[in-house]
Amino acid sequence: MAGWLDGHLVGVVDGIAFGLLLFTIAVGLSLVFGMMDVLNLAHGTLYLAGAYTAYALSDGTLPGLLLALAAGALVGALGGAVLTLLTQPLARRGHLDQAVLTLGITFIVADLFAAAFGGEVLPTDPPTPLRGTVDLLGHTYPTYRLVFIAVAACLAVLVHLLFERSSLGALVRATVADRDMVRAQGVDIRKVLYGVFALGAALATVGGVLGAPILGPGPGVDESVLVLSLVVVVVGGLGSVRGALAGALLVGQVQTLGVALLPQYAPFLLFGTMLLVLVVRPHGLVPSAVRT
Amino acid sequence: MAGRFRPLALITVTTGLLLATGCGGASLGTGDDNNRSGPVKIGLLVPRSGTYKALGDEMKQGFELYVREYGGRLGGREVQIVVADEGETADSGKAAAEKLVKQDRVLAVGGVVSSATVNGVKDLFESSKIPLVGSNASPTTLTGTKYIWRTSYVNDEPGKALGAHVAERAGGPVFLIAAGYQAGKDEIEGFKSTFLPAGGTIAGEEVYTPFPGTKNFQPYLSRIQNSGARAVFCFYAGGAAVDFVKQYRDFGLAGKIPLYAPGFLTEGGVLGGQGDAAEGIRTALNYSADLDNPANRRFAPAYRAAHGTDPTTYAMASWDAAQVLDKAIGAAGGTVTSETVNAALATVGDIDSPRGTWRFNSGGTPIQPWYLREVRQGANTVAGDLGRLGG
Repeated sequence: MAGWLDGHLVGVVDGIAFGLLLFTIAVGLSLVFGMMDVLNLAHGTLYLAGAYTAYALSDGTLPGLLLALAAGALVGALGGAVLTLLTQPLARRGHLDQAVLTLGITFIVADLFAAAFGGEVLPTDPPTPLRGTVDLLGHTYPTYRLVFIAVAACLAVLVHLLFERSSLGALVRATVADRDMVRAQGVDIRKVLYGVFALGAALATVGGVLGAPILGPGPGVDESVLVLSLVVVVVGGLGSVRGALAGALLVGQVQTLGVALLPQYAPFLLFGTMLLVLVVRPHGLVPSAVRT
Repeated sequence: MAGRFRPLALITVTTGLLLATGCGGASLGTGDDNNRSGPVKIGLLVPRSGTYKALGDEMKQGFELYVREYGGRLGGREVQIVVADEGETADSGKAAAEKLVKQDRVLAVGGVVSSATVNGVKDLFESSKIPLVGSNASPTTLTGTKYIWRTSYVNDEPGKALGAHVAERAGGPVFLIAAGYQAGKDEIEGFKSTFLPAGGTIAGEEVYTPFPGTKNFQPYLSRIQNSGARAVFCFYAGGAAVDFVKQYRDFGLAGKIPLYAPGFLTEGGVLGGQGDAAEGIRTALNYSADLDNPANRRFAPAYRAAHGTDPTTYAMASWDAAQVLDKAIGAAGGTVTSETVNAALATVGDIDSPRGTWRFNSGGTPIQPWYLREVRQGANTVAGDLGRLGG
């Protein structure tokens, strides 16, 4: 066992890094769909917006990264607000209309990005102090990815506390469970809606800023991020923070350790896992306690 | 009643469409206007949009630079270049090729980035007897054509050029990894065809990474590290080339296990994206911007002056496409038609190219020199000779 772990230590650690990256992206998709009932297929575009923000503002310093994070969060919150505004009129018309509208938005924004940043992949380097590698029990591992694990883990804890432990989270969950009752208490439901959407979107763009050195900006990244996020949401279960985390960590391991162990099945591993989880637990690993 | 109006409506719509797309009477009276002393029309079929636009730009710039440097003439005739957008798919490429052939009535066509487009337009050029002097796409399966020429190379040749050299230098087993689509498989097969006979051994199994979609190469890099390989041969291009090279450095493989590849890994725009992660990578290609020969002393500085970057193999092969058309149109003499130019293409002989001297083989691709290149201080530099291929 010790020998096996030694051989695959880097894979396991990288699976955690990749999984946490997927968590910061997918948790917003899961919350907005699971709690607010809005299917937002422009979610990958939000990640891409964050990654391009990181590219535009990264100057190789830590303050540059912090600036990009602040700008990215702002872009995400604004993007989330605009998306709420656009999808609200469709609220009663079902998920298909929302899907068509948000998918259309992704195509338009992708063309705008291509016009602004060109058709090439624009990789972003981590800030200078975080470049290079560290020794991980005799294995080489990129420093930035370790730092990313720490930061993303903090984000996961914060989001968990906010939604499952704070009074604000209680308000959101109450809104999901019984809108009329909450409205009767004098709460403006729309504010809750805008708030959750803006926060979910901001998490995706912040994920884009932090993830740019790992999953850099370029044409097509929005689509691959969207597909991975949808898989995480389906595997983890809709509308729960813990579900998104469980799903993301599982997908992360499948995409690193699984691919290393069974490279010949690499193209099918992800969807095989999804199939398996859905057969055993049709509502995902940790479904939301409120909705299901 | 409705039945009587349907044909009328159909004719109206068809006429409207024809007028809108310019296929109608406008071009009927002109006939073949290439066969006089006025300007000749040359079509350029390159992507002006989509994923391959950057490559299309390089090719257009290389071709136009030659025409400009030689006074706007090919074979003594004034040239009018008609550019059509190849787009991303075989369908968009075919539509653009048909416009060049049927509507613009060009004398000959250059360009074509994608192998899928070449396969899609093959019959069009063969049946309309208009020569296509392609300067990039050249799938191994493209054989037995009479009107399709390529100034680039056959897809599996970069791998072939490198095989024996790596077998000699690696000093142990070599790991083979490539993007999992046709070009990746062609390159690996080409590499093995010269690597194995030269005594090379493969570390483990060859690996094809899912294409597109692989962004995180860590699992494959771990396999390389655990395989005991003494060198790696890989095939990646575009965004995947940037990701692979950067992660190869990030996970500590660069500098420990030498990386070899067909030249696209570090060619053109991707090299800038890779930054110092590309330092020391060795590739095989038919061109390097720092080659020292008379033709390149004219070509490379002119290209740098016009576009501010080093020319790539894509720009160079397009410069050569203009050059062979220059010779062929000149040799066709008084009766310049697509067919006389095509016949003359077979007899253009030695081409004095920025890559060194080359000539067409019987399959319409170059017999040419290949070079070992190494990335030094952010630029591809010639590090050795890999002999001639294409015969």
